[in-house]
Amino acid sequence: MAQDSGGFSSDYQFWMQKLSFWHQASTLETQQDTCLHLPRFQEFLRQMYEVLKEMDSNMIIERFPTIGQLLAKTCWNPFILAFDESQKILLWCLCCLINKEPQNSEELKLNSWTRGLLSHILSAFRFDTKEVGLFTQGLGYAPVDYYPGLLKNMVLSLVSELRESHLNGFNTQRRMAPEKIRFLSQVCVPLVTLPDTEPLVEALLTYHGHEPQEVLWPEFFEAVNEAFLLKKISLPTSAVICLWLRHLPSLEEATLHLFEKLISSERNFLRRIECFLKDSLLPEAACHPAIFRIIDEMFRYALLETDGAPEVLAAIQVFTWRFVDALEKQNKQLKFTLKTYFPYASPSLVMVLLQHPKDIPQELWHQPLKHISEMLREIVEDQTHRSYGDPFECWFLFIHFGGWADIAAERLVMSEAEPPEALLWLLAFSHGPRDGSQQRAQTMIEVKAVLSHLKRLLRSPTLLASDLQAAAAESPDRDPRPPSCQQLIRRLLLNFLLWAPGGHAIAREVITLMASTDEIGHEIAGFLDQTLYRWDHLCLEAPRPRKLARELLAELRAHVQPRPAARGAAVHAAGSLGPRDETSSSW
Amino acid sequence: MESLLQHLERFSEVLAVSRTTHVRTWDPATVRRALQWARYLRHVHRRFGRHVRIRAALERRLQNQWRLEGGSGSSPVPGLTNFQALERCDLRLSLRLLENRALGDAAYHCLLQELFPGPGVPDADEETLQGSLARVARRRSAVHLLRLSGCGENSVLEEDFMLKTQAELLLERLREVPRAEAEGPNRFLSTLWDRLPQNNFLKVMATVLLLPPSSPRPQEEELEPGTPKTLGDGDQELVRWLLAKPEVMTAFCRTLPAGLLTSVAGRHPELSRVYLGLLTDWGRHLHYDLQKGVWVGTESQHVPWEELYGKFQSLCQAPPPLKDEVQTALESCKAQDGDFQVPGLSIWTDLLLALGHGS
Repeated sequence: MAQDSGGFSSDYQFWMQKLSFWHQASTLETQQDTCLHLPRFQEFLRQMYEVLKEMDSNMIIERFPTIGQLLAKTCWNPFILAFDESQKILLWCLCCLINKEPQNSEELKLNSWTRGLLSHILSAFRFDTKEVGLFTQGLGYAPVDYYPGLLKNMVLSLVSELRESHLNGFNTQRRMAPEKIRFLSQVCVPLVTLPDTEPLVEALLTYHGHEPQEVLWPEFFEAVNEAFLLKKISLPTSAVICLWLRHLPSLEEATLHLFEKLISSERNFLRRIECFLKDSLLPEAACHPAIFRIIDEMFRYALLETDGAPEVLAAIQVFTWRFVDALEKQNKQLKFTLKTYFPYASPSLVMVLLQHPKDIPQELWHQPLKHISEMLREIVEDQTHRSYGDPFECWFLFIHFGGWADIAAERLVMSEAEPPEALLWLLAFSHGPRDGSQQRAQTMIEVKAVLSHLKRLLRSPTLLASDLQAAAAESPDRDPRPPSCQQLIRRLLLNFLLWAPGGHAIAREVITLMASTDEIGHEIAGFLDQTLYRWDHLCLEAPRPRKLARELLAELRAHVQPRPAARGAAVHAAGSLGPRDETSSSW
Repeated sequence: MESLLQHLERFSEVLAVSRTTHVRTWDPATVRRALQWARYLRHVHRRFGRHVRIRAALERRLQNQWRLEGGSGSSPVPGLTNFQALERCDLRLSLRLLENRALGDAAYHCLLQELFPGPGVPDADEETLQGSLARVARRRSAVHLLRLSGCGENSVLEEDFMLKTQAELLLERLREVPRAEAEGPNRFLSTLWDRLPQNNFLKVMATVLLLPPSSPRPQEEELEPGTPKTLGDGDQELVRWLLAKPEVMTAFCRTLPAGLLTSVAGRHPELSRVYLGLLTDWGRHLHYDLQKGVWVGTESQHVPWEELYGKFQSLCQAPPPLKDEVQTALESCKAQDGDFQVPGLSIWTDLLLALGHGS
């Protein structure tokens, strides 16, 4: 503490000046300034308590001769007393000043003065008229008994005034003036986390006046948003949506808060990501197009910043699923056109992508897939469609509904027929959005070759890991595969392992061979996690593949060290499913 | 069980003493013991909240005490009135002691140590006493701030919630007044009427009569679904008492604003009949001043024409059936007087004309 004391002394001076400034005049400005400083001042009070509790009252007075002024000014500031835990810490500080056995008149005086302040904090600001005082006393009630009820009724009165309806026959219809509402929102800044005032906070958020400008104070929104994000209050979803619509910085803050949670959470746990998303209320709020577009824009930045990190892709997909669910739940008939959510995309493409595969019989899934692929290809490869954005925009739209690409991969692996060009293109596009058409054609040839190899293996009664290795092997007379193509082929092989009758026996061996680096180990775990999640979402009956995927994922999780989703850090893992030391070039 | 009941009685005494100068003699040990008792009773509240028999026995003991002391002390209500009060008894004791300047320095120091142990004290399943005390301070500041923000400038709004709060308190007490003697609530209300400022009391009564039927006490009912329903309807007690006290009823109908009385009459038919009776009675006392062409009273306490007209006007705007009843009453008074059609002969004819119902 000794080295901190210099800092504490200058803080002490700073707050002493602030308190004097606030105390001199209670104007709108000083009150605003108080509200802005409440959290910092509480921190200072905490530090002060830590300093004071180590001393006796004589030492305190010697060291801080003006402490009396400081504490008294604090005790008379209702904003401070109403804020969070400030009043509690202030009580602790005052307790430090009490002398157990006062020896002289000075000490007696200090004790008496401190006792006055302590009872002031606990019985401050009486405003009952004499009549009310007599009435409550006559009924045998102390203020401590009826202040909760009084506060409740006060809040209800204000709420009904905001909503222009009234409690009883004493009142007449009146509108609250905008400046009064603004001041009320300022006064609520310290009260946001007090459960008694929740109805008022909600009424303010949902209050819609007729004024062209925002009447509520921005710091009120910030305080509510922070309390909501830290789970210090619970508000109905409608009120939270009002908050975000009225105050965009709060929405950005909420989205960033979600990102932070996603980043710091364990990798490859989509169920957990889903919980975070649900908890954040953002998918529900996104039913409002203005909110959707801001969140989506932030996802786009996250994707660009991380160079398309699979975790971000997965989060966008889950977000979209939940968002579509919320849209359906809110209204069967769309309140806003799809164009308002995806203004730069082709409306017919959005319509097809939005279809839930669950609503289509499995044997017909190839139809929407073909349709999606053709529409995307037309936009991407045909210059005349530039109004629907560049290839990246198309790809960004498509990965919201990335489940379709996974279905395409599954279909291709399991189909006995010649792989359709449309599905091959869709896979090549989804894995390499930046590829040129030549590069994409090359990928399609590679994929086609691997698929025809796999098709032969599908019928073979006994499978060896080396068979699969051979199927995936690169042809020596072609250029080496780019990483995106390698990743796509790994996906096809994993799908094969899950679905092919003989795949189960060799799955562990193949994965061990495949996971040559930690990054690939994570990629495989991510694939399994996403696949299981997607099957659940589609209510897909696939007991054997599901069981295998679950077991493989559990084993991978046990061996690939859990770590935050930040990319690049190397993780050493051991065991049967851990990455091997030697690298195997064929995978 | 008997020791628990004795404990309860002794704590009631401690609570009574805690705000007197007798605490001058308390040493730290006394303070600690008093707080221990309070904590024990709070524990009893938590432990036996759903235990109907124990709860009933405790309530009975508290009510006996109330009946013995009732009206004799400085307040018509003792410190602990019901089982529910045990929940907050430690908070009450603490606040009384904190505010009592007679408590010696050593005892006070000990009190603070007990109440405010500081941070890092593990929170049990319930809120700590220092948490409750901090919340008391926070709520008071909240009330102050909200009042500052607009409730204060607006005296109508302030009257609104102050009255509603008082009404809820009165209703709560009415439900607790000892049931054993039938006269309980009546005697209690009469004591209050004699002691409290009457204007405020009348307004509070009107507010009680207008509270939504099932509004108060939702918490307790939620908490203890198994509790036998021994509590009466407070507002019915109030109606009964008003009907039995003509002088209070007269003051009620004279003092309160017309619109409010109409609302009360709309909700309580028994009261509306008495109200109408009073109005017709007041009307009969007026006579027609031929020179001035107005209805006047002979004595100062007589209700002036304007007031009478205002009250009838408000009643005639009430929703049926009240509106029709008033109309019928006026018509029948007019018929009794001789069914005059010209003004200046019967006050009822004139009232009906003024109200736009003259035929």
